[in-house]
Amino acid sequence: MLWVDKYRPKNLDKVLVHEEIAENLKKLVTEQDCPHLLFYGPPGSGKKTLIMALLREMFGPSAEKVRVENKGWKVDAGTRTIEIELTTLSSTHHVELNPSDAGFQDRYIVQEIIKEMARNRPIDTKGKRGFKVLVLNEVDKLSKEAQHSLRRTMEKYSSSCRLILCCNSSSKVTEAVRSRCLNVRVNAPNNDEIVKVLEFIGKKENLQLPPGFSARVAVKSNRSLRRAILLFEACRVQQYPFTNTQAIPPMDWEEYVTEIASDIMKEQSPKRLFQVRGKFYELLVNCIPPEIVLKRLLSELLKKLDAELKHEVCHWAAYYEHRMRLGQKAIFHLEAFVAKFMSIYKGFLIATFG
Amino acid sequence: MGKRRSTVVIVSSDDDNDNDDVFTIGRNCSSSNSKPTLRNSKSVLNSKSRTAYARPTAKKARLSHPLSTSAELLSNFDEYKFLSGDLADDFAGFQVSTDSRRLDGVESWVYKYRPRSLEEIAVHKKKVEEVRMWFEEKLSIPKQGSQNYVLLITGQAGTGKSATVRVVASKFGAEVCEWNAPTPTIWAEYVHNLNAGVTYISKLDEFENFVERVRKYGMLSSSLSGSRQPMVLLVEDLPVASGRIAQGRLLNCLQLLVKSVQVPTVILITDYSAGDSADAGMRHWEELSSSLESAGACKMAFNPITVNSIKKVLSRICKQEKCNTSSEQVNLIANASGGDIRHAITTLQYACLRQEKKVLVSSEKCTSNLEAKVHDHGQKDAGSSLAYGRDQTLSLFHGLGKFLHNKRDTECTISHSDDGFYLKEGFTRLPLKMDAPEKVLCQAYGQARPVAEFLHENVLDFLSQDAIEDAWSVVSYLSDADCLLSSVHRTVTRNYEIENVIQSAAASVAVRGVLFGNAHPSPSRWHSIRRPELWQAEKSTRSNMHEMERQRLDHFYTLGLANISAICTDYRPALKWLGYRASLPLEHADVNNSLIRDNSLENDELVDTYPQNQAGDDFTDDDIEEW
Repeated sequence: MLWVDKYRPKNLDKVLVHEEIAENLKKLVTEQDCPHLLFYGPPGSGKKTLIMALLREMFGPSAEKVRVENKGWKVDAGTRTIEIELTTLSSTHHVELNPSDAGFQDRYIVQEIIKEMARNRPIDTKGKRGFKVLVLNEVDKLSKEAQHSLRRTMEKYSSSCRLILCCNSSSKVTEAVRSRCLNVRVNAPNNDEIVKVLEFIGKKENLQLPPGFSARVAVKSNRSLRRAILLFEACRVQQYPFTNTQAIPPMDWEEYVTEIASDIMKEQSPKRLFQVRGKFYELLVNCIPPEIVLKRLLSELLKKLDAELKHEVCHWAAYYEHRMRLGQKAIFHLEAFVAKFMSIYKGFLIATFG
Repeated sequence: MGKRRSTVVIVSSDDDNDNDDVFTIGRNCSSSNSKPTLRNSKSVLNSKSRTAYARPTAKKARLSHPLSTSAELLSNFDEYKFLSGDLADDFAGFQVSTDSRRLDGVESWVYKYRPRSLEEIAVHKKKVEEVRMWFEEKLSIPKQGSQNYVLLITGQAGTGKSATVRVVASKFGAEVCEWNAPTPTIWAEYVHNLNAGVTYISKLDEFENFVERVRKYGMLSSSLSGSRQPMVLLVEDLPVASGRIAQGRLLNCLQLLVKSVQVPTVILITDYSAGDSADAGMRHWEELSSSLESAGACKMAFNPITVNSIKKVLSRICKQEKCNTSSEQVNLIANASGGDIRHAITTLQYACLRQEKKVLVSSEKCTSNLEAKVHDHGQKDAGSSLAYGRDQTLSLFHGLGKFLHNKRDTECTISHSDDGFYLKEGFTRLPLKMDAPEKVLCQAYGQARPVAEFLHENVLDFLSQDAIEDAWSVVSYLSDADCLLSSVHRTVTRNYEIENVIQSAAASVAVRGVLFGNAHPSPSRWHSIRRPELWQAEKSTRSNMHEMERQRLDHFYTLGLANISAICTDYRPALKWLGYRASLPLEHADVNNSLIRDNSLENDELVDTYPQNQAGDDFTDDDIEEW
């Protein structure tokens, strides 16, 4: 088992980061009335961990007995029947799913499937709660229509069903949904907190940690706890005992983005742009989300850039990130950003060095 | 002979069909209101009557509609509205009553003047001779088992394929028995039939049954009728088969026919112009004809009819009809027909009608129209080009070549001061050496999405190597086009009208953006137009994504329902590092290995397929230049 899973806190008392949130959640549950919840925060900040711990708090250990199902659903949509297949993770008390996996059919998922689940009230054995919990991941990727129907489902079935929504950015969740939920912001853990966790794991695994080592991993992890732990384990596999000079294995795709960034800095021409496109394809084929590629590329470029250009470059990155959401083919917009950057940078070079 | 005949029909070829078959103007009309006709395919071949098969009453009912109602019916279709209205107008001037089954005054000249003798056929003498030889051979030589009886004729629409066959057959006194595709069943009709308890028979099934019957009982009808006339089977409309399976069935069925039929059989396949070749259906017909040829069918390809022979035919008709069409106009029609004689004759008939009623379309305009065809700016009078000529089509690659090469005049001839606004220096471009981009797109049947993708793939090659600024403006226009295109999917209810507008707007933005942005085109040299790599990339992405979802299911404890992006950005790279650890539990090692393997496989595939694509889609510069 990976350390990420092995040392995932099982209940709310044991969490090492976000202790305050955990405490509040615990209070919330013990008061017997749980509102709909919306967890949001950057990847690797511990949203899912908190949700799992919360479920355990609510329903006891039985919430951990989950099974995976790949269910097919038939939804009657007016004149035709739509068949959707979706993976769910469910226990007797909760069901977890990624409605956005259904792509453009997501609103059927939300409308019908959730409705159906919410209608099936769990059998009310003594002392147990009379509601079921639905955990929906990646709510921010749902289409507007789906979010609208989500809002209606929430109201209609609020007596029998609680929703726990989980997403990266709450700004992509409609106001209506947000206002019906208790919003829980889960910050990215800062480096000290990550160090604390890594040292905790190190102690459990009986590892000798040279001073400052875990801090280096933490810096490298980009404030993502998941990545920090994965990197930590990778280091352990590569070389043990740890030394302070030990290289921390990089993420391969990040290396690749760095390479793209230096390509761009070296030459600005349509030909180079074409080569860069090829590399983008490589990243996209490996399912790296284009937004993340753009973000990473921007930060790599900013590292090497003159301060007076930074503002403009950031502006265009944001502009094309937005475009990417509006459009369908991410490569068009990624490339447009690179072209814009090249033209800005080339102009700058000519202006300064003649 | 109406194309809409519902069943297999036995027709005596010497009979004058003019009497029983009426051709209403605008075959569009008849096709658009195709009524359910009774279908009775079983009793046909052995029906004793040698006259035309008694028409189902439904057809009669249809024909008795006054023309105006069918024009009204048509008016649902915007595209035809203008044309049909005009036609109805013109013909109304002639006071035609379409109430009777006979259209005494206006009979389609295409049928009136269809060739009666070998000399009258406009097809090249040699081709006619070839067909004649074939018939002679098949009809005169007594039957031997191994002989092959199938003739495959291909050619564009209106090159006289069926006319030739009919005339030649009648020369030998042979009886033409033909298969015409049954009327397509429309959905509403299907539903109606279903409720009425009539089971639907697929058109392909019907065709298969027919072929089966012909193979087994080939000459039955001929022997029953008692005449000693030889018989020729003419398969004119092959059923439309879409999808691999159906196409395979059709192919098998035809191959069987080729191998075992004992009657001289002629199969006609209409080629479509190169402009249509973008869609896969075309390749299917090509495949079909080549495989039939390999099965032993004798193949003949008919070329478009030459302008001269079309002219000859047209002037002959003019003489017989005693209408004074100027030779200029005949020239024009012949030139514009693109080798389609049927179209040319219909146009002539129409032109003659117009003359008598309306002012003659000024011939100067027409001639200038022809000359200006290569080099105009889309401001040409649309009316005159509508009157004659088929619309020119371009292949998609031709159109793309035009856009990418971005040929412009060397100096600005149109002064901008006329239209009252001034452009800054940076925004002015020299006039384009082509039609309006939208028109080119339209001729090339360019759809917004693929056009944008092709442009995106290829445009960088055509930019000057210093012009990164241009590259940005081109790519940013493409990005605009993409946003426009995807806004289609954002609407809750589909509105096709809006979608059409958006589609054409997006195509226009993409094309004009490329033309405008490429302000410093690189000097023209050899370029190949590649297929968008984006397609391959997207395909691989999807399959990888799918694979990952599957694996997430297998190893759910580790990966849970973690989203794909987390798996890709965090878990996979880390697992790759962890793969070095021997003590890793087996399942993780599995995940790991398979992930890596997939990955490398995918890359190999990309590399492998790529040169292929290039080879397949290479276009020499000459080609593009020539266009």
